[in-house]
Amino acid sequence: MLKVKDLNIGYAQKEILSGLNFAIGKGELIGLVGSNGIGKSTLLKTIIGSLKPLAGEITLDGKSPNSISSQELSKIISIVLTDKVGGFNLTVFDIVASGRIPYLNAFGQLKEEDVKIVNQSLETIGIKNISKSYFDELSDGQKQKVLIAKSLAQQTPVILMDEPTAFLDFESRIQLFQLLKQLVRDQQKTVIVSSHDLDVLFRNVDKVLYLKGNKDYHFETAENIKNFFK
Amino acid sequence: MRNSFILHVLILLLITVALLFVNLFFGTITISLSDLKDGIASDIFYNIRIPKTFTAILAGGSLAISGLLMQTLFRNPLAGPYVLGVSSGAGLFVAIAMILFGGVSNYFIGKSLIGISAVTGSLLVMSLVLFISKRSRSNTTVLLVGIMISQILGAFQGLIEYMSDPAALKSFVVWGMGSVSNTSNKDIFILLPVCLIFCFATLFLSKPLNAILLNETYAQNLGINVNRLRLIIIVITAVLTGLITAFCGPIAFVGLSVPIACRLLFKTSHQLHQITYCFLIGAITLLLCDSICQILSESYALPINTITTILGSPVVIYLIFKSKTIS
Repeated sequence: MLKVKDLNIGYAQKEILSGLNFAIGKGELIGLVGSNGIGKSTLLKTIIGSLKPLAGEITLDGKSPNSISSQELSKIISIVLTDKVGGFNLTVFDIVASGRIPYLNAFGQLKEEDVKIVNQSLETIGIKNISKSYFDELSDGQKQKVLIAKSLAQQTPVILMDEPTAFLDFESRIQLFQLLKQLVRDQQKTVIVSSHDLDVLFRNVDKVLYLKGNKDYHFETAENIKNFFK
Repeated sequence: MRNSFILHVLILLLITVALLFVNLFFGTITISLSDLKDGIASDIFYNIRIPKTFTAILAGGSLAISGLLMQTLFRNPLAGPYVLGVSSGAGLFVAIAMILFGGVSNYFIGKSLIGISAVTGSLLVMSLVLFISKRSRSNTTVLLVGIMISQILGAFQGLIEYMSDPAALKSFVVWGMGSVSNTSNKDIFILLPVCLIFCFATLFLSKPLNAILLNETYAQNLGINVNRLRLIIIVITAVLTGLITAFCGPIAFVGLSVPIACRLLFKTSHQLHQITYCFLIGAITLLLCDSICQILSESYALPINTITTILGSPVVIYLIFKSKTIS
């Protein structure tokens, strides 16, 4: 589903990671770990096409993201970020409904089918009861859940999550990983989750991409990666 | 939601039409339908009231939409053409154009040159502010830089005014006060198509504008070409602000406050609805302010900026305190 070959990432002035090679199949839940500033977010932003690779290539289902339109790409891959969102009267429903944007007309009007999908996403994450609340007025954990629901509403086969458990309580973290496992198992989605919550992550993911430094990374089972932390 | 949107639009349209009639028939003199056949009243109606009223509608709607676009692009509720110096950019270039092209005898060519100069000034400032906003992620920095740009351009404009002859100085000062009364029917032939086309085109940006409300990375991930959207917003804002500033002078408050008021009044984030509300509330605001200008003073028209600021600011302050959801 997702292949990365000889990939170098970073910014024009600074290369962060280089020589990355890995392949992730359909229906796999992958953990992305590494210390702060190592390049986890940069890697995720490069995969979604928000940043250009410095060298190497990324392919999604055999296609380079550069060879398909951004509209088409938005139906293949979605992301949950830690960046600040909110304001401008945005309600929980509005944020989740924004996941339907790739499927809407120029005026951005939701059809009955879109509303149904948005409501399903809200129910799946368990936040239907706060759908009319203003996003700004939610706790950080609730905000994170809303953004995950947005990603579900986008209905992409690949989902990338940048530290989605950062603001969640312990129970919500367990629930989130249960949900991700369910999505991977039932809908054959490919999910990459970056997290510092190693206990919960190692227990739930199929494989771990451990970024240690430039040209230094490991892509192995959670069991093997655990040994590095002992 | 769709029903309430239609209901709101119908109510706003009714208010706009009512104010349109007030502006056309009431003022320093009251005009009745029977006066329209000939005479001074007819002349006032066709040559002064009609262009003034339509200018108020177009200027109010266009500035409000410019403000909405800027607030959405910068994701900053305090952005607006006046605050970020876009009006000042237009102002400085109008001042230069008045000196360079003031002697052009053909009316349309002369006005078009001034209009194009104003749009160029707006475009340059808008691009500069956007460039700075890409370098600094702080909203406060962007606002402060916008205010500084506005001050610098204002100083240059002051310098040009200082070195002008008395006649040019008078026209600068009058123009600088902002007014919807200085346009003729000929000007409406330029303003009407350009403003309507650009305001209408904004409706087609509803989807990408909804996406960019989240942030640029999310918008990109939702299939939006953010660079192209940014460019389109710069062009639309520059054309609308530049043209209105060229014909009416810098009009304060409308571009900043109308989008805020619309957000607080109608509680929606959907940009298709907000664009429509902004155009109508912007038009209503300037029609109302112009009516007040006329009613308060029988012998001379008060500067519209005074009224827009005196009336509008307390309303916005009240709305901000009443609601938590401004930003």
